[in-house]
Amino acid sequence: MRRPLCLLVFSLLPLLAPSPAPAQGVPDIAVERRMAAELGLQVGDTLRLGVAPDSLDRLVRVAAIYEPAADPATVLRRELRLRMHLPDLAAMLGQPDRVDRFGVALEPGASADSAARALNQAAFGYRAYPSSRIASESSQTFRVVSRFHRAIAVITIVASAIFLLCIMLLKVEERRMDAAVMRFVGIRRRTIFLALLLEAAVVAVLGSVLGVVIAWASSAATNLYYQRFFDTKLVFSLLTPDIVRFSVLLSLVLGLAAGALAAWRLVRTKPMVLWGRG
Amino acid sequence: MTVLTGRGLEKTYKLESQTVHALRGVDVDVAAGDYVAIVGPSGCGKSTLLQLLGGIDTPSAGRIELLGTRLDTLDDRALTRLRLTKLGFVFQRFHLLPVLNATENVELPMAEAGVAPAERRRRALELLEYVGLRARARHRATQLSGGEMQRVAIARALANRPAVILADEPTGELDAATGREILNLFRRLNGEGTTLVVVTHDDRLAGEAGRVIRMLDGRIEG
Amino acid sequence: MEFRWGVRNLRRHPFRTALSIAGIAVASAMLLDMVMLRGGLEASFADLLLVRGYQIRVTPKGTLPLDSEATLPDATGLVATIRSDPGVAGVAPLVATSIYGRRVAGGDSLVTLFGYGIDPRDQGLYQLLRGADLAADDSAGVLLSEASATALGAAIGDTVTLLGVLDPQMAAPAMERRLVVRGVVQWLYDYREQPSVGTVVPLMQRLARTEREDRVSVLLVKAKSDADVEPVVERLRTRLGGAEVNGVADLVRHFQDRMVYFRQLATILGSVSLLVTVLLIGTLLTITVNERLGEIATLRAIGVSRASIVKEVLVEGTALTVVGCALGVALGLVTARYLDEILTSFPGLPATFSFFVPRTPNVVTAILVTLLTGALAGLYPAWLAARAPIAPTLRAEAT
Repeated sequence: MRRPLCLLVFSLLPLLAPSPAPAQGVPDIAVERRMAAELGLQVGDTLRLGVAPDSLDRLVRVAAIYEPAADPATVLRRELRLRMHLPDLAAMLGQPDRVDRFGVALEPGASADSAARALNQAAFGYRAYPSSRIASESSQTFRVVSRFHRAIAVITIVASAIFLLCIMLLKVEERRMDAAVMRFVGIRRRTIFLALLLEAAVVAVLGSVLGVVIAWASSAATNLYYQRFFDTKLVFSLLTPDIVRFSVLLSLVLGLAAGALAAWRLVRTKPMVLWGRG
Repeated sequence: MTVLTGRGLEKTYKLESQTVHALRGVDVDVAAGDYVAIVGPSGCGKSTLLQLLGGIDTPSAGRIELLGTRLDTLDDRALTRLRLTKLGFVFQRFHLLPVLNATENVELPMAEAGVAPAERRRRALELLEYVGLRARARHRATQLSGGEMQRVAIARALANRPAVILADEPTGELDAATGREILNLFRRLNGEGTTLVVVTHDDRLAGEAGRVIRMLDGRIEG
Repeated sequence: MEFRWGVRNLRRHPFRTALSIAGIAVASAMLLDMVMLRGGLEASFADLLLVRGYQIRVTPKGTLPLDSEATLPDATGLVATIRSDPGVAGVAPLVATSIYGRRVAGGDSLVTLFGYGIDPRDQGLYQLLRGADLAADDSAGVLLSEASATALGAAIGDTVTLLGVLDPQMAAPAMERRLVVRGVVQWLYDYREQPSVGTVVPLMQRLARTEREDRVSVLLVKAKSDADVEPVVERLRTRLGGAEVNGVADLVRHFQDRMVYFRQLATILGSVSLLVTVLLIGTLLTITVNERLGEIATLRAIGVSRASIVKEVLVEGTALTVVGCALGVALGLVTARYLDEILTSFPGLPATFSFFVPRTPNVVTAILVTLLTGALAGLYPAWLAARAPIAPTLRAEAT
């Protein structure tokens, strides 16, 4: 329910004021790479921090510039963060003995669920959670996005299937005169059907291969674009072997099914009707 | 009065890698009220000559005049308009629009010419009556027999009161009995003053004509 | 005549036509959904911000409303300063904090609640569902959401216990108050099932232990008219240098930044839908024109103009698009509801928020774009039909 403390840091951003004079005994901070780039900071620079625009009274020194772990939960917010020693931040906030959370490391073999239960029995004013539960709840956003993507994918597949069936039908019907002549000269329905199915299979295979190439290219372009846009190393689009296998299989099945249906419609029509005289 | 003139007509076209000399210098005159049959073996250039006279193809050399207008001086729009108002075409395979009924097929050239709906409906029914198909006025083209379709095609050709009817193998797809119906219709049309130019293999049709032009290898014989 | 002829040509191959219409329906449904998504996000958010008429938000420097735990000090002074602006009609202070409650039925366990401190005379945060609103200085009353009423087991008239900051070492709350439930309200910015309670500002400040500095989370400001909003924002930015002042337009821009992924996705998928429509109609008409070249050559031979041929082909394409689009609108509205149900389950999203908003301008835009695309898609096949050479085509037909 409480907003994460780290978000409080964002409010400090506009309050930073580069100070030209280095000083002794000044607390060290670490700033993230993006912040250093935007504010033109280097290791050794000193800054003034404060919790209000009119009280920038804490002098600090940039001791390190770090690259934070890519976090999809925060990439959209485009916040800039810095790290301080806990006592320094607590003192600045005027809450010397207050924290938002503890991380608890257990002895090897200890169960996180049991430990959390034990802590919660005596808890007042705090609650203990296994990290896995936190991870699960904080990934809820991405589960929603996944569901959305899946729904869009289903709609796209339905549209593609209809489109594919339509095109196959049209292309096969273009061959109606050829099919009529073949029937006139005694070629069996089965032979014509299999010939058309083979064509559909070739088209489906070539189309699938082309589709994989296009998917790979657009996945690479998506990552390139969004990694630059959000200045992050997060991977936005991932083409796994499973996804490739599924997509190729689905397109082959759809292509063959569309071809089979179109071919069946053609071969079951009387030759004279195909010829235009029936 | 001469309605249609062709002088020094030549036509060459490419068929895949081959050059075909369809016409090799043909002169032809058609007077008002004429019934001209163009006969000859397959590939002699009869249909090509008809298409040139009808302005649906352009000669490689020579000139054509219809009612005093040189066709080579006209752009596509003017040529199309000429075909619509001065010529009527009848084809071997009828080429009616299968999605329209008999009346609508006959109305089509009149609609294109801007005739008001009531007037063109009246004339279409009148023409169907003339060709003996008033009872089939609301039937789709696909519901008609071969002979009936050709009669509707003739009615369509007459829609805008053309100066000349050009017919390319009008009985080519019909049996003998149905062909006779078309024969009778053409005789009647010509008897009432309609100028006819007919390309045909059918001896009976050729026999009805007032003048027969025989062609061989792109030239007129004799 | 071209209209009749064009429409009837579609009936020659009913299965093919039906399939094409189905394809166009799905593509136009997708386009409609993406138009709704693109326009709906900002519209829904702006509507949410303006539902009580407060066009401006004042928050701690560098923050957005309720986006962090940062607060503004000296709320009373700030309210007075803002109210003194000639363009301001009202100021609603808001405290937002975590508090706890005891169930009415008793028991040891505490219920975690979201606490709002409001001024009932001037508030932009809730709508009364039943019961009564708080009086101006009612420090003995509380308003509940449906979820908090359920969590506390409380009804209107019951007494509930709210607890402030919990001290783990003392194992006791810093403050505890018994309050009477005056009414049940819908908190406009709450996510689904959020257990929220509301009291007057001073009481919630005491529960949050921020009364000494008179801290609030955000100030909602109502301008006298829409024309006053921008000037008031500029003046407040000058006078309140230590605070962040945003009009609704500014907040929508920030929101657009956060939602950039959905906007771009909507643009990409919408474009793909249009491309599918173009390909489908273009391919269908090209193939049907090729099938009917003999017929077209005959028509040209008997004097039908190129323009008429073009018109007929365009009529076919447009007729397909009109029918497909009509079905697509219906389908799109259904799929939009389904997609909206998925996206509105985002944690922390206000329950009244919608991603897919079926506004008339959006629907009309989608329809017009689809119709125009369908009509244009017929241009290439129409051009093919019009330039078909008459004599060679007739020759080919005869062989």
